[in-house]
Amino acid sequence: MSRCDFKIVLLGSEHVGKTSLVIRFVNCRFNASTPYQNTIGAAFCAKTICVNGKPFNVGIWDTAGSERYEAMTRMYYRGAHAAIICYDPCCLESWTRLRHWLQELRTVEEECKVYLCGTKKDLIDSDEVRREVPEDIVNTYSQGLHGHCLTSSKTGENVEELFQKIVEDCVADINVMKDVKELRVQLQKEDEKKRVYCFC
Amino acid sequence: MDDVLDEVVSSEDLQKFEKVYHEQLHQGRVTHKAQFEYAWCLVRSKYAADIRKGILLLKDLFNTHAEGKRDYLFYLAIGNARIKEYNKALHYVKAFLDIEPANQQVLVLERQINKRMEKEGLIGIAVAGGAVLAIGSLVGLGIALASKK
Repeated sequence: MSRCDFKIVLLGSEHVGKTSLVIRFVNCRFNASTPYQNTIGAAFCAKTICVNGKPFNVGIWDTAGSERYEAMTRMYYRGAHAAIICYDPCCLESWTRLRHWLQELRTVEEECKVYLCGTKKDLIDSDEVRREVPEDIVNTYSQGLHGHCLTSSKTGENVEELFQKIVEDCVADINVMKDVKELRVQLQKEDEKKRVYCFC
Repeated sequence: MDDVLDEVVSSEDLQKFEKVYHEQLHQGRVTHKAQFEYAWCLVRSKYAADIRKGILLLKDLFNTHAEGKRDYLFYLAIGNARIKEYNKALHYVKAFLDIEPANQQVLVLERQINKRMEKEGLIGIAVAGGAVLAIGSLVGLGIALASKK
């Protein structure tokens, strides 16, 4: 069913900025005037990313952060190659919930690569808000994971880099690439079958 | 999978939420949460009968639980689009956009519904066109045969 080579899911508490991160990455924009709207269930979008000159189609599932959808969003973790767990460095609660998100993910998809992402970097840089999550704690916690970064969806800082790194890590992973190749072969076969059928 | 309308629920998930719903129904009290989760699975089913059932459950929620109205409208639009009731689906999309005009998820959904209507409309025209062509050639053949005599 899926025509995406890699599946990435975003998770994290509500209002940390998961949807803004995806919109910045896919559409290269940020709209400060749009009022906050919580995501319903999960939203999907896709983008092609090149690694070593080869294009890869990446499907991104942006899941809802509100507790209301928790039972539902868990289903979207299935089959994910990578997960971005977002938190807001200026909101301690979003950080303490992080462990919960990680557990949720691990019960569904054990092998998934996990990246931590602190959002709203522009606000921290401008000293507009106080940082509540200490850097050293983040660093210690992210050691067992695949990466950590601070992004700003407003300025675009580190957004492209984060997704690029994820796709590069996936391409470098033999097991993931085996899946990708198998899927491509299978899709090609299906396409050929369809073509024959159409001529009839 | 390129859009939300193609997404299909797995049968295990459907059964899991169905069980919770029926247990509560049996006990005489169904929570909004259980009904919503079951309905959400149903509208993403492969089978039209499931989708129709999901639509009924969502309509019931819409009328009884004001707090979740935007969710119910969203999945009512998806359910109807999946059984090709495009005009009804667009009606729910419009009702949603009246409340939140800039909602990206709903704007994307609206585009997908329009795209499907267009695609299926064109197929409809092609089928009708083919029929006209076939009748035309039969008539032509008839005339040709008649004139031979």
